[in-house]
Amino acid sequence: MGTIRTSDRGRAGARDIAVWDPLVRMVHWGLALSVLVNGALTDEDGIVHEWVGYAALGLLAIRLLWGIVGPRPARFASFPPSPGAAVRHLGGIAGGDRTVHLSHNPLGALMVYNIWLTVAALCATGIMMGSLRFFGVDWVEEAHEAAFSWLMISVVLHVGGVLFDSRRSGVPLARAMLTGRKSVPADRPVV
Amino acid sequence: MTGRDPQARRAATLAALIVAQGLCAMFFVGDVIADIGVDVAESRFHLPLEAFVATVMIFGVIYFMIELRRLLSRMAEMDTGLRAARGDMAGVIERFFDDWELTPAERDVALMVLKGIDNETIAAVRGTAPGTVRAQCTRIYGKAGVDGRAQLLSVFMEELLAED
Ligand code: HEM
Repeated sequence: MGTIRTSDRGRAGARDIAVWDPLVRMVHWGLALSVLVNGALTDEDGIVHEWVGYAALGLLAIRLLWGIVGPRPARFASFPPSPGAAVRHLGGIAGGDRTVHLSHNPLGALMVYNIWLTVAALCATGIMMGSLRFFGVDWVEEAHEAAFSWLMISVVLHVGGVLFDSRRSGVPLARAMLTGRKSVPADRPVV
Repeated sequence: MTGRDPQARRAATLAALIVAQGLCAMFFVGDVIADIGVDVAESRFHLPLEAFVATVMIFGVIYFMIELRRLLSRMAEMDTGLRAARGDMAGVIERFFDDWELTPAERDVALMVLKGIDNETIAAVRGTAPGTVRAQCTRIYGKAGVDGRAQLLSVFMEELLAED
């Protein structure tokens, strides 16, 4: 994609570039909601907890398919997992580089894959706990707990990263996840 | 999800359908997983039937995804065409530069090339050697997938002359 609309939302000299299509946004907020609901609201042994878990797994599966089929910013190829690139990105930040990434930046990309893997592990261990074979097996339950703790840490880091990068790059990222458009200050180079 | 544009609304509807159908497929798959190894009393067709339904639904999801992908790229193209028609060539040019992932220096040079300024002058304006400008041009043409100045221009002429 990459559709541009020049500053029709009032920010002088900003380009609005379409990056997150509706499916990416629905999956994001659906996944965030299901993590919140299952982490805080549902009864851990109840059927609702199980359903919400399956819903999260379904959303994840949809997103992974969309990572192959979807438009450019949503595709895995736009944010490959690369620790090297992430380290270089950190160096760039320290050096005052203000490049704006239309998809996830290399550091954000690592976090995205981390969250997806963790959610997958949570769902897998959750399904195992409900199965006859692994019912009541200690290590499965411990793995489920550990994955949840790690997901909480990751989400805190994720939201922190979003807030930090919004300030650094001058692009309101959370708004982009709502409206689909990144509003990029005119003087910033875009990748 | 902006309400005004009917195409944006269609895209949002398609996305919602994909999510709904994907979740339904997930629940069937979940049921299949839960049933594997369990002696299902109902009938021995239960499991294969569920597996079949899940497969059909997954293919449906993929089909809708391809549709949505097409719709989204049509929307992006239409937007470019509209801007060109409105005379917003600057916006169109920016979009292409973004797509080609030009560096800030390359954008500068590319813009001057489009304005018909020759390499010597570009070098003088930017305070670099003519060789540098030539190298930058080569990289720009490479990223844009064109052979040279004339073809670079024609990329934008095409947008202006596009019928739909
Ligand atoms: C449980 C809570 C959350 C989870 C599991 C989660 C997970 C994710 C994932 C997986 C992505 C990648 C999206 C994709 O490519 O499909 C993402 C991106 C994003 N999330 Fe979240 N998220 C959560 C909460 C939030 C919250 C509360 C905010 C608001 C501040 C937020 C803002 C964003 C933004 C802005 C992006 C795009 C970042 C970029 O521009 O590169 N997320 N999130």
